[in-house]
Amino acid sequence: MKKFVIFSDSTCDLNAELRKTYDIEYVQMNYVVDDQEYPADLDWGIHSVKEFYDLMRNGKRVRTTQVPREAFETAFTKTLEAGMDAVYISCSSALSGSIGLARLVAQELSEQYPNNKIYCVDSLCSSLGQGSMVLTAAKLRAEGKSAAEVAAYVEADRLKVNQAGTVDSMEYLRRAGRIKASKAFFGNLFGIKPIIISDVIGQNFAVKKTKGAANARKEIANMMAENVIDPENQCLYITHADVPEVAEQLKAEILLQVPFKETYISAIGPIVGASVGPGTIIAFCHGKEVTIEGKE
Amino acid sequence: MSAFLTGRELSTMLLNGYRNLLRNSDLINDLNVFPVPDGDTGTNMTRTLSGGVGNAKDDAAAGSYMKAFARGTLLSARGNSGVILSQFIHGLAEGMADKEEISLADFAYAMSLGQRDAYHAVMKPTEGTILTLIRQGAAFLQENSFESFENCLKALIAHLRDVLQHTPELLPVLKEAGVVDSGGAGLVCIFEGMEAALRGEVIESDGAADSSLKETAPVTMGSFGPDSVLEYGYCTEFILQLMHAKCDIAKFSLQPMIDYYESIGDSLVAVMDCDIVKIHVHTFTPDKVIAYARQFGEFLTFKMENMSVQHSEVVEQKQGPKDKYAVVAVTCGEGIDSYFKEIGVKVTVSGGQTQNPSAEDFLAAFRKANSQHIIVLPNNSNIILTARQAADLYTDAQVHVIDTKSMAEGYSALSMMDLYADTVEELLESMTMPLEGVTTGQVTTATRDTCMNGITVKQGDHIGLADHKILSAAANAVDAAMEMLQALEEMEDKQVLTVFYGEDLTDEELEELQNRVEEAYPLLETGYLYGGQPVYSLIMAIE
Repeated sequence: MKKFVIFSDSTCDLNAELRKTYDIEYVQMNYVVDDQEYPADLDWGIHSVKEFYDLMRNGKRVRTTQVPREAFETAFTKTLEAGMDAVYISCSSALSGSIGLARLVAQELSEQYPNNKIYCVDSLCSSLGQGSMVLTAAKLRAEGKSAAEVAAYVEADRLKVNQAGTVDSMEYLRRAGRIKASKAFFGNLFGIKPIIISDVIGQNFAVKKTKGAANARKEIANMMAENVIDPENQCLYITHADVPEVAEQLKAEILLQVPFKETYISAIGPIVGASVGPGTIIAFCHGKEVTIEGKE
Repeated sequence: MSAFLTGRELSTMLLNGYRNLLRNSDLINDLNVFPVPDGDTGTNMTRTLSGGVGNAKDDAAAGSYMKAFARGTLLSARGNSGVILSQFIHGLAEGMADKEEISLADFAYAMSLGQRDAYHAVMKPTEGTILTLIRQGAAFLQENSFESFENCLKALIAHLRDVLQHTPELLPVLKEAGVVDSGGAGLVCIFEGMEAALRGEVIESDGAADSSLKETAPVTMGSFGPDSVLEYGYCTEFILQLMHAKCDIAKFSLQPMIDYYESIGDSLVAVMDCDIVKIHVHTFTPDKVIAYARQFGEFLTFKMENMSVQHSEVVEQKQGPKDKYAVVAVTCGEGIDSYFKEIGVKVTVSGGQTQNPSAEDFLAAFRKANSQHIIVLPNNSNIILTARQAADLYTDAQVHVIDTKSMAEGYSALSMMDLYADTVEELLESMTMPLEGVTTGQVTTATRDTCMNGITVKQGDHIGLADHKILSAAANAVDAAMEMLQALEEMEDKQVLTVFYGEDLTDEELEELQNRVEEAYPLLETGYLYGGQPVYSLIMAIE
């Protein structure tokens, strides 16, 4: 019998099988297309991966909303009612307001349920970067660690998750206001692929430029090689916005350089997808602590 | 017959050398390797030398005359041959320093220093160029002795002509194009003019051409307003043709004119050469300067500047804190100019193909850049040396010249510029790294028939060049571009194509090009931008 509940949200990009294996629950954000709101479920029940990104390719604006208050209230109350603690590992606070709301709800409920606690951890990352922390938390729970211990561990460890990705077009990130980069990065430059990391405060930051998709993949592989620690015991995480063949290509190129123990590939969910756009690929690994803070 | 030369004699000789070069500059321009109106050697050398003529003051002493002449050429140097010429003259001047008159031995010594500096100007000296003539000329003077400058120059010219005829054997591109080296030909013209002056054969000035070579600095509007005080007077400069109808030219004396102008002005320089008088004077009453001169003749040129305006310019430029980094880039075409500014260039220098900028143009841009580090993109192989020369002359910033040989390379460097770089070395590396992967594609119209690289080119053909090698010739620009791309061996490794289309490309041609590139290279990422450049209908960065 589990000692506490692990929650994540719609941006963790963990599929049903993994969530089941590791007993992970999640709260849903929403996305809006043509004034119609849809829950961002991790199993692509409404739009398939292709359908969703085709909407974007065809010029549809996709807006996103944070986890609604009721979702937190329902999920957290149910946990506390059952006499359990919970650890919620959220999407980066630089990308979503969900964590703030979660903390507020947890605080409000604490008076009513003084014997149990909801620990809210800001992953300072998203997609499988966030997802990898959720898996780590689940493994620690299986080892018998308490909610407090797990929350503290993940909080202390979160900056060791390294992200390196690239987008097909800067347009989506720019429109969503979800990136730090100077004007020169945004210039009308053809074939320029920015390499985007998640920085110390969890914002996406275009850390360098490459030219051409092949060079971008090469740079991502180099950054994985440079930042990983103990790859023989690590998993390489790759997410993509409806370019599975490119993700496979990136995986093969990274594995040529770095002997990861295992790899896990998934599609980027609609929330992150809406701000990075189709064609995006991102790799994550556990290794050196991120020290870069993006500046304009 | 003279065995010594004074500053005045050198002045007459160099003016004649300059005029002979000017007279032949079109012929020298035509000695172009590629059938493309690229940075013309004759024009560049003439404009370089005109800076010497313009800067040199009337001076009896050979050494100080040459010093001022050399400084002028260094500043106005443009094009590779121009820069080499200016360095050669710089060496000559050093060899004559402090001399009242120069002997034949002094001249031979000065030539050896001229050779040293000319070779120093280039990183990788190429034989079969003006350098070879300078080296052979210096050696010839070391090995032979003469009793007069007349004989010396005559023999030197004969020797240099012979060397010039053999330049195609040293430089295969000359042989293939069927021309002798243009820079070398220019040097011979200068010596011929100088030698003619010694024989009293003065080449007539073409007043219009002379004055067109003088460039005036841009005036800052508003720096002299309705309430300003005329603090410094006017700088006036003119060349007067003495007229038989107005005076007895044979008996004309410069002295009364000097006396009068000194009474109404200062900083006077007055030179007379047969029936031509050249005057420079600062005055508050330019009307009197004009009226007095016109008693004796008519003006060939007349230039006047309000010195208070110049002064305000200098004050303005000193304002404002310096940036850490600034990029100065040579551009051609309004589209390329504004685009380069958009992606990070602070100051542009107009230039490129037919109009190579001078070292002085760069210096003005450096001042405007007002930065601790200035990164220069010459964007033309014929401008790199000029940029380096300007970098050496500039002391107010660290100037770094990146050897970009084309607008495409300049674009490539700019597009990858890392503005987060902590050090200038990192910044420079981010800009030089991409140069390895960029191929420059160009499409232009052939100016003459030729056969190069096994490709037969007819005058008027559209030719496609990749990294300055002719790869295709076709009836229209789009065919030439496509054939060039197809002939490019490294094309399969390329990922991005950025096209700057020139002022002469039609909308239909652009559309056709886009369709055909899309069809032939579906995986290539492409971008098309209006460059507005002359001469080249297409400039492509193939990366």
